[in-house]
Amino acid sequence: MSNTQDSATDARASQAFVTLCAGVLPIWLRQLESSRTQSETAVAQMMQAFADIGPHIHLAQTHAHAIAQALTQADGGTLGLVEACERTLVPLSDLPALSSEQRQGVAAVLELVRGAVGALQAIAGPITNETKQVADHVENMYRGFQYQDRISQMMALLAADMSRLQEAANAGGGPVPELEAWLTRLESQYAMSEQRDTHNGTSGQGADDSKETTFF
Amino acid sequence: MAKTILVIDDSASLRQVVKMALTGAGYNVIEAGDGQAALALLDGRQINMAVCDVNMPIMNGIEFVKAAKALAAYKFMPILMLTTESQEEKKEQGKAAGAKAWMVKPFSPTQLVNAVSKLCV
Repeated sequence: MSNTQDSATDARASQAFVTLCAGVLPIWLRQLESSRTQSETAVAQMMQAFADIGPHIHLAQTHAHAIAQALTQADGGTLGLVEACERTLVPLSDLPALSSEQRQGVAAVLELVRGAVGALQAIAGPITNETKQVADHVENMYRGFQYQDRISQMMALLAADMSRLQEAANAGGGPVPELEAWLTRLESQYAMSEQRDTHNGTSGQGADDSKETTFF
Repeated sequence: MAKTILVIDDSASLRQVVKMALTGAGYNVIEAGDGQAALALLDGRQINMAVCDVNMPIMNGIEFVKAAKALAAYKFMPILMLTTESQEEKKEQGKAAGAKAWMVKPFSPTQLVNAVSKLCV
């Protein structure tokens, strides 16, 4: 095959490839944008559900805290009630004038009070623990939802880059963009270290960019 | 009276997360989707603090901080940058513009509320 024929074949192949890109890229773009929008909508809906239960969890935590405090306070709390009953009733039961039945009655009342307070304490501990665990899980979910924003940012960035590639493919006979410059420009737009790591195929600190708050 | 926080982020879901964390802690929240929309809200109303993303369309977070600091009524309004940007260079830009703190997403609501209560005095 002659050099002229080779060139003609290469030109046809290049043109076919450009046509392929020009046809495929807009579809990729639309699909990417559609997925991004859907994920944003899904998270917004989930967040709305949590917005509704959030105040109830907060209230449950407040109540659990109030119950624990009411039980453990020595003065005025439920434990204080046991101590007050003991202070008052134990000396009474020692009075010689009391009959055996009356003494048993005082002891029974004391046992009832101790039993009731003990039961309340046994309930309060798990309630406080459970509400704290629920609140911790919700806090973790709030954190998890934010990863959608990271994904959304990356998808938007890729969509913009695909759009540029599409424009370049449609430009016709103009100069083909240089690969290194293209990749440098793409990398300069990353906000997160994980994006740079992925771009370069290196293993960095992954998705955990989060550090303590920096105060200036 | 509850303090008012202006939350600026182009992501609606992120604004929701921030709003839920702050309203749960007793703050009032008003929202804007970019720096320019946020500037339009700096119209003399009482705003105690702003929580602002960095990468946004139309007007980014750093530009917003500079513009807000140029307004006499909001010159001393503390601004917390809340962003996925973790580069020191960007942090320095935020500091130079007048931001008071920098927090990287994803954040925990407790972390955010602690920072806001520290800045919003």
